[in-house]
Amino acid sequence: MQANFQDQIAFYLTGRREGSKLKPLDGSYRPALFARVSDLASLRYDLPLILNVSGTADRVVLSLSHLIDEAVESLGQSADRDRIARHGYKLELELRKGSTANGSDDFGKMWSDAAARLSDNADPSMQDSAQKLWSHFDVAGTLVDADAEFPSRVVYHAWNAVQDTKAKRFRKKAERLLQKLRDILDAEAIGSAAGRAPDRLRAGVGTSFGTTFDFNAMSRILVEGKPGFELSGERRTRIKGLIEVLERQRFYPVGTNVDEPYSFAFFKCSDALDAYQERHDEAVELLRTLAIADLETKGEYRESVHDVLFDGFGSNGLDAEELAELPDYLVCTDAGTLDAVDTAQMVELLAAGLPIKVLVRTDDILEPSKVAEGHVALGLRARQLVDTAIGLTDVFVFQSGASHLFQMRESMIRALSYDGPALFSVFSGATGHNADMPPYLVAAAAMESRSFPALVYDPSAGADWATRLAVSDNPNLDDDWPVHSFAFEDETLQAGSENLAFTLADFMSMDDRFYGHYAIVEESYQSDGLIPISEALHADVTGLPSEVPYITLVDDKLTMQRAIIDDRLLLETRRCLTMWHSLQELGGIHNSHAERLLAKELKSRSAEAAANVGAAEVAQTEDAAVAEPTPAAVAPIDEPTAEDHGDDPYIESARCTTCNECTNLNDRMFAYNAEKQAYIADPDAGTFRQLVEAAEGCQVSIIHPGKPRNPKEPGIEDLIARAALFN
Amino acid sequence: MKVATQTISASECLLRMYDEHHEIEDYQKGVPRWCTGCGDNAILTAVQRLCRDEGLLPEKTVFVSGIGCSSRLPHYMNTYGFHGIHGRALPVAEGAKLARPDLDVFVNTGDGDCCSIGAAHWIHAVRYNMDLTMMLHDNQIYGLTKKQASPTSPIGTKSNTTPRGSYLEALNPLTVTLGISNVSFVAQVVDWIPEVLYQVISAAFHHKGFSFIRIVQRCPEWLPKQMDPWMHDPQRVLLLHHENGLEISPALAKVYTKMEEHDPANMNRAREIASSDDPIPVGILYRDDDIPCYEDVRHDSRLRTAEMVKNGLNAELDKFTVWPEGATHA
Ligand SMILES: Cc1ncc(C[n+]2csc(CCOP(=O)(O)OP(=O)(O)O)c2C)c(N)n1
Ligand code: SF4
Ligand code: SF4
Ligand SMILES: [Mg+2]
Repeated sequence: MQANFQDQIAFYLTGRREGSKLKPLDGSYRPALFARVSDLASLRYDLPLILNVSGTADRVVLSLSHLIDEAVESLGQSADRDRIARHGYKLELELRKGSTANGSDDFGKMWSDAAARLSDNADPSMQDSAQKLWSHFDVAGTLVDADAEFPSRVVYHAWNAVQDTKAKRFRKKAERLLQKLRDILDAEAIGSAAGRAPDRLRAGVGTSFGTTFDFNAMSRILVEGKPGFELSGERRTRIKGLIEVLERQRFYPVGTNVDEPYSFAFFKCSDALDAYQERHDEAVELLRTLAIADLETKGEYRESVHDVLFDGFGSNGLDAEELAELPDYLVCTDAGTLDAVDTAQMVELLAAGLPIKVLVRTDDILEPSKVAEGHVALGLRARQLVDTAIGLTDVFVFQSGASHLFQMRESMIRALSYDGPALFSVFSGATGHNADMPPYLVAAAAMESRSFPALVYDPSAGADWATRLAVSDNPNLDDDWPVHSFAFEDETLQAGSENLAFTLADFMSMDDRFYGHYAIVEESYQSDGLIPISEALHADVTGLPSEVPYITLVDDKLTMQRAIIDDRLLLETRRCLTMWHSLQELGGIHNSHAERLLAKELKSRSAEAAANVGAAEVAQTEDAAVAEPTPAAVAPIDEPTAEDHGDDPYIESARCTTCNECTNLNDRMFAYNAEKQAYIADPDAGTFRQLVEAAEGCQVSIIHPGKPRNPKEPGIEDLIARAALFN
Repeated sequence: MKVATQTISASECLLRMYDEHHEIEDYQKGVPRWCTGCGDNAILTAVQRLCRDEGLLPEKTVFVSGIGCSSRLPHYMNTYGFHGIHGRALPVAEGAKLARPDLDVFVNTGDGDCCSIGAAHWIHAVRYNMDLTMMLHDNQIYGLTKKQASPTSPIGTKSNTTPRGSYLEALNPLTVTLGISNVSFVAQVVDWIPEVLYQVISAAFHHKGFSFIRIVQRCPEWLPKQMDPWMHDPQRVLLLHHENGLEISPALAKVYTKMEEHDPANMNRAREIASSDDPIPVGILYRDDDIPCYEDVRHDSRLRTAEMVKNGLNAELDKFTVWPEGATHA
């Protein structure tokens, strides 16, 4: 064994470097795939974002780069398009630099400030470009870049936008109900004797005809001639009560309400829960008011039925759909400060199905385990919450790195609009252990390395896992790791390229707490025993290893370097991969059950196919001979048999035109049934003569007099003859 | 634990529990003053059955009419009603529907009311295609004013205005309606087959758009026996049926054997059928569900507060106000 390799094996097994030529890792190295991004501010990417307060739901969160591209696009082929675009990109860079420094600020102000900074007094074209682009933006709001506060800013903003929409919907409904309820009271006032008093009538007619009418007489006629319209005392009290509740409630400001509306955003679950409980009775009262007012304004409120029902309203708890009418609670928490009590409370809140949206922001997913040396938590606290929340089955769960919030905004808004609890787990990337690596990159790298995968679990999407869980926002979904082609030049300036996977070990190399698990192997010191980590993960090693895994880095002069890793790190990386595999399976990728079934099915099919070769021809001719007989024709519809009335008189009621002819003749003998069509109610309630005359008078000839019940009736012979025509 | 299925909100649930049950009598008001044997009675019964079967709320239902015997129908309905002025039932109904699209609005009119004095409104109502159900009670005569020839009186009809018989060929309400743009529902029925009368009114009610039904209605007072030849000979009635039109019950099919399968989407055939008055075609001649309704095209979602109505009226009136010299209006 080469001496170099011996040192490398020793490092791999023990993590010790002393006495070897292996060099320590430090902040001047970064993963090879990040070679290009040393100066992030000079690149175009999604961030910074604009938290837009004007426009539709799909424009709540906007990306500066997208916005500029759209604006340039909308210029069409105008002559100054190129110039404006160039200026646009300059402004974008300027803003990105500024935003990274400042956190967040008003976009409009930043835009004009940047334009002013970049303008040259002699050349007004920059200002012109800035104005032209601005006129295409149609936005208002703040510009934000990734930092520790970024996830809460974005989620809070989107939550606000969703609440605004809900508030509008509520207000529209409440104002409509209020108007209608007041109309009912007004109608009563107008219809009352006081409402028809001479003075009121005079006021109603106006000044021009004030002397034309005798309002006293008019009032007398109206008051006496038209019955008064008066609400029952209970109804009037009820309506006034409804109006009072709608005007007084503090969930959504409506109309003239002077009280400060409630706030629904909190930093602690316990505060949110306290507020929820404190307001619970009012919430029930408001929802009950809405339901009653709805019935009341439609005139469908029936005291006998509804009083009891509404008395018990809400005593059985309110369901998510009812609660969805009211504002959602938002709790923005920091995973780093959550203790066991907070976590337990959060789970309780989520499990209760309350309309609550919880953001758990994680700044550090590589927090070293307190119990096992070298073991990392991999965002344990957030992960536990996410796993539990998914297990609760009706919690909407959204997880993403801060870097992908823009890309996943549609899911984020869907989660915020969901009628039930939702959990947002977002990794900010502001770890504090990544040298000068910006949080945006750290967050993106975490998603890339599978240590903080994107996932969306939407309980309203369908009944099964396949429709509820989506992991498709992750890169290279079907693979273990995202693999990128990395281009370089060697010392002889020959171009080459290599495929590099981005693994947890690559991600961890950016974190100063783990530098000790890596050792840089200089070119001259390399051995044949080095293999890329993605291969090493699958090697089945028993006994002394014959290979040492490495990752590829670049130093600050952009020279490629290999760093070997120790055993501990390989284990962590493997654990991360296993976790990714189970997420893949849940998301329907490489599902082990499905794959097993598929293999079985394929096997049996190929066996069948083999057996069938040769037999095919025979089968074909047989098939024709035993072709199934066509089913018999549909049975004829049974015809209804005419009812036998014997000698009794009867009417073909279904054909009666309700013409009143027979009923006017004798309304005890002829009557209308529930369909308002005539039938013989009592054949003995009149004479046979009446029956015959009715039959003759019936224009549709559907009355059949039958035989006389009293043969002694005068002129019976003649009547029997006349009746014969209708029997 | 809640599974993501549809649940019913409290008020909906209560609504369902409170299932108002109506009888035909609940929709009846007063005693009809029509002559005994008048076909209007059959029409009244059919609409009352419809109201009961559809569970229409009296306070959400309006019957609008003009003037004539037929136009008395709203008086006999225990719903909202508007007995309008001669020929103007449709504009009133349109106004009601535009202001209150949540109401079910029916129009009852006569051959004089609709086809003479109200003819202009008839044409435009078809074109506006508002969601109304219109019943033209066609007794081929002015009934209320005691027998004057109407536009639909057959040529030669002797009446108080045409003692020597009317001179003109009758106007055919079906072919006229079918010729108007935006026409979306045209049917014909006779008052003496209650089953089909009900079916057609029901189909018209369910049609979203303006439904025009011509009902051949007997006036035994002024034109006795006028319709007897058709009433007593089922072969002189042509029943139209189709999977998208009427389904004829086996019992009816036994009596009325003259039938045609007619697809209400077929306008050309509808026009041919419409031009026959012997046999009388009965059924749905034409239907197009895709014509937009005027109230939807012109829907105004603003809340109509008293304030807003007042301001709107003032703004309109201001347009016609003569302002004294030097005065400025607000
Ligand atoms: C403006 C005006 N012109 C004339 C009349 C007189 N008038 C009352 S009813 C009627 C005709 C009604 O005929 P029709 O619509 O066929 O109704 P029917 O009575 O036949 O059902 C006329 C001309 C009137 N009421 N108002
Ligand atoms: S006379 Fe005939 S049509 Fe008229 S009500 Fe009696 S049964 Fe019915
Ligand atoms: S006059 Fe004719 S239309 Fe009028 S009620 Fe009498 S029968 Fe009916
Ligand atoms: Mg008439």
